[in-house]
Formats: sequence, C-alpha cells, structure tokens
Amino acid sequence: MIRGIWNRETVAMVWVAAALPLAVTWLLAEGSAGAIRLLFVLIVGGVCQAMFTVIRAQRPSLAGLVSALLIAMLAPQVGPLQFALGVAFGFVFGELVFGGWGRSVLSPAVVAIMFLGFAFPAAAWPHLPVQIEWAVFPAVVLLLAFGVLPWRALAGAVLVLVIAGGFALPPFGSAVAVVLVFIVCDPAICATSPLGRWLAGALFGLLFALFGSVWQASAVQMAVCAALLVSLSIPLLDELAIAVWRLSGRFRHG
Amino acid sequence: MPTPRPWPQAVETVITTEAGLNLDPLIDIRMEALVQPGDTVALGRPVLKDRRRPELLVTAPMGGRVVQLELGAGRRQASLLIQHDEKVRPHQFDVRDARRECERGSGGPALRDLLQASGMWMRFRSRPFGRVPAGYAVPALIMVMAIDTKPLAPDPCLALKGETLDHLKLGLQALATLFDGPIRFCQDDGPAIVEESDRIRIARAGPLHPAGLAGSFLRREFRSGQNLNIWEISAEDVVGIGHLLSEGFLPATRLVSVAGPGLRETRLVRCQPGADLRELCHAHMKPGPHTILSGSALDGREARWLGWRARQVTVLERRDTKPQPHWLESALRRASRPEPVIATSAVEHALGGAMPGMALLRALAIGDDETAAELGALSLLEEDLALVDYVTAASPRFADLLRACLDRIEAMT
Repeated sequence: MIRGIWNRETVAMVWVAAALPLAVTWLLAEGSAGAIRLLFVLIVGGVCQAMFTVIRAQRPSLAGLVSALLIAMLAPQVGPLQFALGVAFGFVFGELVFGGWGRSVLSPAVVAIMFLGFAFPAAAWPHLPVQIEWAVFPAVVLLLAFGVLPWRALAGAVLVLVIAGGFALPPFGSAVAVVLVFIVCDPAICATSPLGRWLAGALFGLLFALFGSVWQASAVQMAVCAALLVSLSIPLLDELAIAVWRLSGRFRHG
Repeated sequence: MPTPRPWPQAVETVITTEAGLNLDPLIDIRMEALVQPGDTVALGRPVLKDRRRPELLVTAPMGGRVVQLELGAGRRQASLLIQHDEKVRPHQFDVRDARRECERGSGGPALRDLLQASGMWMRFRSRPFGRVPAGYAVPALIMVMAIDTKPLAPDPCLALKGETLDHLKLGLQALATLFDGPIRFCQDDGPAIVEESDRIRIARAGPLHPAGLAGSFLRREFRSGQNLNIWEISAEDVVGIGHLLSEGFLPATRLVSVAGPGLRETRLVRCQPGADLRELCHAHMKPGPHTILSGSALDGREARWLGWRARQVTVLERRDTKPQPHWLESALRRASRPEPVIATSAVEHALGGAMPGMALLRALAIGDDETAAELGALSLLEEDLALVDYVTAASPRFADLLRACLDRIEAMT
C-alpha cells in the first residue's frame, strides 16, 4: 500500500519555508545584533530539543526554528541570562513536556515571550520595522497554497480587524501580521473545526482591537497577549463547535 | 496515482483456470466444510458454512473440481482451491416462491432463504462494525453503491448497461421486498440510472475520493449518536440478485479493473469472484518485482485471490532495498511515541468534511472510545479512514485504531 507525504515534518518544512522571507527581512533590518540574538535563541532551543530527544526519545521538529525566530523578533529586551531562562522555559513548558510540536496547547514562542514580559515588566518591547509586514504576504501565499494555514482563522481575524478599524483598511502593522500568521494560525495550535477557526480568528481580532482602545502599550505586547488568550481558549472554542454540530444534527433528523 | 481516462472501452472476459477464497477479515465466521477435495462443484453450490450461524453460506465462485480445502486456525481461515471445468453447468435455484414475493412486494421469507442459500446474503455489509448481517436482521436503510471513487477503480456504471439494467430493477425490487425502510441509490453526477420512487431515492456525489464511499454519503445525511443499522451492497451485487431471480443461477463474472504502476496497460476485465490475480496480471506486468493488491492502493491487501468485495486489482512496483537507517533514527523510531497529525487542509479533504474529523482522529489516537462514538466513529469503517492514512502516512494507521475501537465497542454491546 502506498503512503503519502503530509506527515508532521513535511508540514514543518513548509512552515519553515514560509518563515524564510520574514527572517531575511528582519535580519536585514536588525543587522548583526539581530543575528546574534537569533543564534542565541536557536542554540538554547536546540539544546532543549536535544535533551528531550536523548532523554525522552522525542523527535525534534523543524518547527522549532520558526519558534526561535519569533522569540528573537518579539521578546522584550532583557539580559542574556534572563533571556536564556525565558527561552528555555518557553520551549520546555510550552511545547516539549506536552510531546512536541503538534501535541501542545501553546506555541513555545508565546510562552517564552509572555514569560519574559510578565517577569520583567520594565523591559522594553521591540519595535518591528514596517517592511516585516510585507514579508508576511509571501508567507501567507505559500502557506495557503500548501493548505497549511487555517484560512478561516485568518479571514475571521482580518474581518474583525477591518470592522474594528472602521472600514478604513489601514495597514494592520507588522506586529499583528506576524503574530496572527505565525502564532494564531499555527496549524498545530489553532482550532481544528471550521467554526472553531472562525471564532479563534475573530477572538484575536476582537481582543487586539479592545487592547488597542484601552491599553497604552507596544503593538507587539498587545498582539502577543491577545494570541496567548486565544490559544488558551481554543479547546473551549473547539468544544463549542462540536456542541453546535451535535445540536444541528438533532434538529435535522428529529 | 492518476486515474487513466478514458478507460479502455473493451471489457475482456477472463475466467482464470484456478479460483480461491479470499474472505474479508471482517467476515468473522467459524467455517465448516461442505465438500471434500476431489468433489465437483457447480457455480452457486455451497462450499463452506458458518457453524454458529448456519444461514451464512459461502458458495462456489465457478464450476469445477475442488483441489484443496483446508481449514486454518480456529476454523477462521480456509484455503480453498477450485480448478475450472467449463462442462459443469451452474446450479439452478428454485426461484419461483421468491419471484412471487417480489411481485407481491411484501414479506419475504422465501427471498431471504434464496439469498442465503445462494450466498448473496454474504454480499451485504452492515454498519456499525461492518459485519455480514444476521439472517433475521432488518435494516433501517439499504445503500446501493453505484459509485466508486477509489483510485483506479472501475466506474460501476460500465457494468450497468443493457439487460443488466433490467436485472438491477428486479434486484432493487427484491431489496424493497426484504424490508420496509428506504433505499438510497448512490451514484455519480451523471443522469439517473434508476427511477426514483417513494422507497428508492437517488443520492449523488462528485468524482473526488472520498466522496463516493458509503461512509461519506452517510455522514452527509445522518449524524452520530443515532442507532444506525444500515446495510450497504454494491450495485453489481444487486444486479446479481436480479440475475438470480430472473435466470435462476448466479452471474459468473464481475467487472474488475486491473491497473497500477506495475502494469504496462490498464485493463477492464470480467472475471469470476475469487479469480487468480497472478493469472490476471501476469502477461501485462512490467519487468521487476511487484506487489499485487486485491483492492485499491489505499486499502488493498496483498493477496493471491480476488477479495470478497474487491472490484479492482492494483499492481505496485515493490521496493525491497531500503537504505539502512541511522542508528539514532531507528532507536528514536522504536522508542518514541508516534508523531501527531497536523490539521492541514489535506487532512480536512481526506476526512470529507461534515464532521469534527480532527477531534475524532485525536479520540481514536488516544483510545477514547466514548468520545469517538459520540463523534461518529460508529458510522465509519476502515475504508473511510484509508485516505487519511495515506495522506498523513500515520503510524499506527487510523484504520487499525478505528477497528480496535469498534471491536471494543462491539464487545461491550
């Protein structure tokens, strides 16, 4: 019998390929400081994955590369020891203890970034250059073409953000674009039912719009906070979608 | 694996010199031999019967001499070999009572007896669990499958032409006599093959697998949690019932496609049930080692004889020489838990939509039978998850997990 190719690592390869334009754009903007930061996260994350590989025979996933890039881009600026602790905490308690990419509830990037954000409230949040937003477009096209991106979540979020912005169609900003595509729409994290995906996307848009109106904070902080809350509510949204499915069946066939 | 279009128009009739028995593993019967090696059997004569349910009979697929009949472990397996002898006439059944019942259109003990005596009863498959229904059972719905979307499967409409249409009508009438519920005639998007009536309704599906599976039709119409008791039978077997009722003997052949990357050409043949696959394929193979599957490339099994419900033969090239994996890689593979399935749109399409499929896959993967049943596992059979297994290369296969889940649920009820 024949076997197909869409196992976890194939999806992870597409996921990494989509992040490449983002990485190049960000490195061009940040220069050598960014490169060192990325290398640092890659090493810490790699050590964590290697430890779980050796001790628990848990296969590493290429998706860890994307998580490392997101942490390097979005985490607040802290000292190297604190940073290493935060990154390790994110990888281990966000993903690896649950069984790796595809089994966890949260993205390790969200856990690491929010851990550092809560632990060091005074730390400065990074400001993403505007060209990053444009680097997200080829990623979206690639992910949609391979069917990796849950398009309903993306559509739900964009719809709510456009409505909340008063139909003015302003550019959403680099932070929202990156967090929406690479954290909220992570196929391993996002809801799995169609309704759940619409709701997850809409919830992200709603939360970001709410934070934007009442909270004077950096866009990155607001976006990652919204992503964390959305990720935590995804099991609930999926349960809701299944309950709706059950109810609709009851009404269809008495 | 692209489906060759157009299919070859000419359908050869091939009766292989030997035929055997390749029962579906789901047909769990304890067999008792009714003939001896050396006996001459006619097409339609009983060869094996179930010890616990004597109404379930396996009949000879063609006339000839029984060369070998051995029962395997626990009488669950039988190796049967019949050599063809064209001088043996097919067995004539007495169909007068059954025909009279069909014309009256109600009740049907004689018709049941006829179907069971001729072995056509074993062509039904019931859901949940996918077993052959008991001789006295009454379904809530019968699905007649005149569509097959598996890769390289023959179009069942090719077998529904000319006088077989009359047999199909008679067969449907016989099904309607068996019970009082509705019949769904599942076909492709083309013109209607049969006329709709108050009992027989047509359901249609597109050409993309898995749309043509009985499970996909069911999921579109029904939801989980219902007390399903649904039988399915292929349209060609309904034609066989009609043939039996009008001519008095079983049809000798069925339409089978012989295709796959290991063959030089794609063929449509009419051969007897249980035909010798090596003989069917031998003259048309490409050079090199091969695997001959009875069934599609997605859910077929390597076999010598054509399977019980198989309507296609797939020949794959065999790649025996796998490179030795790295020691760490093989150690990880043995020690680690299986990789999870990521919910991409490929998986979504393979599940056919219309149900919380990923939630069901997760429930199956962790062995949560209660949730799986709530999410519709009872309306599924292995073939419904074969495409998911193909797409995700999942290990262990979800089809096997589903069968284990169904077996546990069946043991409890």
